[in-house]
Amino acid sequence: MIKLLKVIDVCKRVEGHGDVKILVQNDEISLVNFEFNIYRGFENFLIGKKLLDIPKIVPRICGLCYASQAIASCKAIEDIYNIKVSEQSRLLRRILMTGELIKSHSMNFFFQTLPDLLNIFNISQKTTTVYDLINYDPQLTSNIYELIKIGNEINNLFGGRSVHLISIIPGGIIYSPSKKNISIAKKRFQNALISLEWIIEKFIELFSHQLPPKEFDPPNLIYLGLSNLRNYNRYSGSLSFKEANRNMIEFEKHKYSSYFGKEPELRGIDFYFDNKKNVIVGPLSRYNINENYGTDEIQTYFEYFDNPWKNNILFANFMRLLEMYIESFQSIQILDDHNLNIKQEIPSMNSVKKHDGIGVIEAPRGTLLHHYYVDNHNSLDRIKLFVATEFNIPLINEMITNYAKELFERKGDINLVKNNIQRIIRAFDPCISCATH
Amino acid sequence: MKLKFAILSLSSCSGCISSLISLDIFPQFLERTKIIFFQFISDVKDTEDCDICLIEGCVSEEHQIPILRKIRKQAKKIYALGTCACFGGILSLSDIKVAEPISNYIEIDGIIPGCPPPMKLFGNCLIRLVENKEIELSEKNMCGICPLRGNMEINSNINISKITPNPEEIRLDEENSECFLAQGILCLGPITRDGCEHKCIKMGLPCEGCIGPVSKDFTSNIVNYLSLINLSQELKNYTGIFYRFSRPKLKG
Repeated sequence: MIKLLKVIDVCKRVEGHGDVKILVQNDEISLVNFEFNIYRGFENFLIGKKLLDIPKIVPRICGLCYASQAIASCKAIEDIYNIKVSEQSRLLRRILMTGELIKSHSMNFFFQTLPDLLNIFNISQKTTTVYDLINYDPQLTSNIYELIKIGNEINNLFGGRSVHLISIIPGGIIYSPSKKNISIAKKRFQNALISLEWIIEKFIELFSHQLPPKEFDPPNLIYLGLSNLRNYNRYSGSLSFKEANRNMIEFEKHKYSSYFGKEPELRGIDFYFDNKKNVIVGPLSRYNINENYGTDEIQTYFEYFDNPWKNNILFANFMRLLEMYIESFQSIQILDDHNLNIKQEIPSMNSVKKHDGIGVIEAPRGTLLHHYYVDNHNSLDRIKLFVATEFNIPLINEMITNYAKELFERKGDINLVKNNIQRIIRAFDPCISCATH
Repeated sequence: MKLKFAILSLSSCSGCISSLISLDIFPQFLERTKIIFFQFISDVKDTEDCDICLIEGCVSEEHQIPILRKIRKQAKKIYALGTCACFGGILSLSDIKVAEPISNYIEIDGIIPGCPPPMKLFGNCLIRLVENKEIELSEKNMCGICPLRGNMEINSNINISKITPNPEEIRLDEENSECFLAQGILCLGPITRDGCEHKCIKMGLPCEGCIGPVSKDFTSNIVNYLSLINLSQELKNYTGIFYRFSRPKLKG
């Protein structure tokens, strides 16, 4: 007789509602799945909406990557109308994306994954409550609060509000920053750099002399992300696939459907490759695709970590810190750019130039692509949304299944399995709201 | 004695949670209370007895109903946090999913509305809750202190034919002195509760009503409003303007 046992556990310290479902068959784990029990149906109810109305609705997919959602949406619409946004708007959008990234990455790093890191590297076993965590290192805590505040203030200053921003519209940004606000923003980003230097050095001090556990080593991967001649820039560029020791494949956004797609009634993204390697998006992909960060400190920081770190999923935590650093640095340069002061009229959008449009950017968690098809009344006829966490799900499932099987065989403790596989899930910083759009 | 708080999420975007963590007073909030449940930042699996529970998100799935019933027994006071929990929120646009306010299932003690709740309003509400006081919200609509108030225009002779200005025509507050309604652009300010500091209007966009109705009920507000303005046929046919953040209330 086959003994079947289904174990379900709620994921803790993640954005949104996820479960891990473990199937135990004759005392062996046969399958582990990271699952969601809420679906919201944005792709369904956006149909029929006027194109210019869509960027007001889609940020509500996610309260962490609201700016990315709005900007990807505007870019898809600008593609349909064949409109180029002004340099000023482009720069402002990048600053808004940085504000969002700082908030999202710092909340994830501190509240969601730091307790795991302290535990994995045997530094502290006692940071499971938020009170233990904030008292662990008060200076770290205050630096994190400072970053969250900065991200929030930047979005508020240039976006009109700190979540679900108002200023992002098709055609550009409805806001031209005053000298006073530019100078406030510059001070904030300078403070962000100071806080980040402290946190990065703390991370190096705590973790760099150890090697990360092998259960966080992913199987062979294909990195997907935007490439801008290998310069770090999440706003523009062509889509790229990169495999270890192979040349990069770069392609324009409208070619994406030769590589991946999705069926409207089915969940998940299909890849049209021959091999069985998993795709990954997010900070680790950006690290593998980009070479130039515009600041020398980054290379120095990399040198503290031995090679086994560099492709371990836990390295994404360090990359999140570095990305905040890189973008704060880039934002200061943007704030000094004279193009930021040159206000141009937002182009008028009278007639559509084609019947579909694609907008793609790198959201904090990875590649985000909006593809809209328009009908004869400038309303949405069909829509496909490809969201970062969706790309990562097959890889997450493979990694947690492999590790759960091995751990259960070795220790036979299902509670340990439940706990430890969630650390792998959290290392990906999944955004379940996004994945359940 | 520190008050025990639980923070729960249903179907949402987590924007209210990220706004809570981003509040200037969040560190003090943590220090002055005891958080017993907050899935976004803590490992605790189950809710338990507490003084105050904030619930974010709407009810869109069957399995959320027993969660609500359970916390109602455990929490002395429950507040709906954000427009989804208060009124149903953005999922109201869906024909397939339900998007119900939590008050359809349990009695609540108050609301902190907004998509997300505006920082100042949110911070003030939170301070009052920590002090175990009732929340106070404005009873006025957006127009009373609107920056464009000088020319306020509710006039059934004007044909309202747009939900937003054309992008190239958007003017910021200081350049824009005319009420949106006078320009033939629909603004939900007259039926929307004051409390957001007119953030959209200051950016040159009309109010879309995300903070919810000035009086309790969306539907009666909207029915009254529609009798005072002259809406173009195209807008009458376009769904999801008045009921973007809440479903119409059906009677009988």
